[in-house]
Amino acid sequence: MILLSITTSLAQDKEAKITLTFDKADSLYVCKALVTSEGIPVSEVPVNLSVKRLFGNLPIGEAIATDSTGVAAFEVPLDIPSKNGKLTIIATIVDDENYINTETSGIVNWGMVIVSDNSNVEDRSISAARDKAPIYFITVSLLIIGLIWGTLIYAVLQVFKIKRLGRVDKIEEFKITN
Amino acid sequence: MSEDINITETTNKHETFTQEEYMVMKSDLLRPIEKIGKAGKIWIAFLITVFLAGVFAYYVQETRGKYTTISLRDYTMWGIYISNFLFMVAIGLVGVLMSAILKLTHFEWYRPLSRIAEVIAIGAILFAGISIVVAMGRPDRLFNLILYGRIQSPIIWDVIGISTDLVASLILLFIPLIPSLITCRNNLKNLPKWQLKMYNFLSFGWQGTPEQWKILKKTMRILTILLIPLGILICTITAWLFATTLRPEWDSTNFGAYFVSNGFLLSAAVMILATFIFRKAYNLEKYLTEMHFDKLGQALVLMALIHGYFNINEYLIPAYKMSSLHENHLLSLFIGKDALFYWSVVIFGIIVPFLLPLFPKMRKPIPLTIISVIVLIAGWFRLYLIVIPGLLQPYLPIQDVPESWKHYFPSLVEITIVTATFAGLLLIVTVFSRLFPIISVWEVAEGELEGKEEITNYK
Repeated sequence: MILLSITTSLAQDKEAKITLTFDKADSLYVCKALVTSEGIPVSEVPVNLSVKRLFGNLPIGEAIATDSTGVAAFEVPLDIPSKNGKLTIIATIVDDENYINTETSGIVNWGMVIVSDNSNVEDRSISAARDKAPIYFITVSLLIIGLIWGTLIYAVLQVFKIKRLGRVDKIEEFKITN
Repeated sequence: MSEDINITETTNKHETFTQEEYMVMKSDLLRPIEKIGKAGKIWIAFLITVFLAGVFAYYVQETRGKYTTISLRDYTMWGIYISNFLFMVAIGLVGVLMSAILKLTHFEWYRPLSRIAEVIAIGAILFAGISIVVAMGRPDRLFNLILYGRIQSPIIWDVIGISTDLVASLILLFIPLIPSLITCRNNLKNLPKWQLKMYNFLSFGWQGTPEQWKILKKTMRILTILLIPLGILICTITAWLFATTLRPEWDSTNFGAYFVSNGFLLSAAVMILATFIFRKAYNLEKYLTEMHFDKLGQALVLMALIHGYFNINEYLIPAYKMSSLHENHLLSLFIGKDALFYWSVVIFGIIVPFLLPLFPKMRKPIPLTIISVIVLIAGWFRLYLIVIPGLLQPYLPIQDVPESWKHYFPSLVEITIVTATFAGLLLIVTVFSRLFPIISVWEVAEGELEGKEEITNYK
């Protein structure tokens, strides 16, 4: 029991190195990961491939175990959005019983360049800027606001009319004519 | 024989409204302005103290930074300031209900209540706006709302609406006040000179000529008609601040009606409370009679029914569907961590005002006031339940954040400031009632003179 655990812990201390190669094979992107340990290619080691994104890594496919030559071949889809035409591919060995965790990355000119369609920036819409509100919206809002405030201003003007009618000469005038 | 006497009694009783009765009414209604007793002074001093505590708390909030003093975080960026704002806007409908709707539908018992309702509405709208400014992260950028605001934004609609409602309520308070100001000036000779000067200035040369009365009545009528859609519009726009989002709790077509019906319910409750307080404090039992409490109790039942209807629409149908978007929030409200809260609010806020005032004994002043206080407290918490659980269940689920961001409890600074807004509202109402007659003398006299059926034949 003790002998077995010592063997296991010694085995976990092995370092592995991953080397990435990128190739394009008839309408497919192929990325090959060569895993070596102390210069010797090792087989049956699961490798995870992922693409670097803004807040994390996007895994590509499942973990593929290296074959007898120590190579794991991945197919990378053609339509991954790239940053300035480049993708950062990351290959990792994680939680393997024989090797400690390693990671390698490489930058390659793959991926789709995203062109933003800004054709409707100048359009009037409800989500646009202050000066580009829809015309119907502006008219109806101003109409409602104008009607309400117009009534309020009318009410204030009537109060001033009351004041004007309260002047003594106006009352005299009223009394004379009636 | 006895029938003859009865006939003459009922026909003579309110045919003439003697000069003596008018003098008694005037002196009753003007007395609070003349005399202020010890209790009155202590009350005003207490309110000023609480208000100043709130001002100090706001100073602490602004100088020590909001992160340390208040509990608002990335997800709960609206806390009790905003639920207080909603409460104040809901109460602001009391002017619409008590002053405008009753007046236009010829329910004559509105007469003593209308000015009280208008003052409460003005104070409430004012402190609604103040609650918003207190909640702003950068209050120095307040004018950016006007300079750079987009007309497509619900927040801008709310800013325009609140300010319009404030101005409209002020004008509608002021115009019927004009005849009362001359009454004050003529009858209260012992007041300080500045006060008499103020009455003179504000009365705008009112002489009581027929022409002036005509203009006054016409303007009042137009403004009263305007106030009803305006008040309802303001409350609906406030609801749309929430309903124009995609959050599970707020993504509801029912919100406008829900908020307006809530506003009417809380307005009826606050009117009952205010009527009771003024009746007791200023000895106005002859004008704020038991009939008023009876009618207000019936209004409370009606508003509770209407609000209960919209409440069922708001919660039962989404619960029936239990779509995955709404599931977490609905289950937490009905059987989860907010369950006790939610069901207490429903029971005390809707079922109690619906059931209890159905009994005539419960429509007496004291029981009805207790019910209305319960309704107001439940109403405040109902709006808390709309804001905070809604914020804690955003459209994209909360992930990878510190644990403290997933909960909200108001801090001491926030509680102080919210209490200060209530104190400020009460202060405005109290100070107004000490400077101007809180019951409109000429409107009540007009009602007596015309001898309205429902007032004389009240059983």
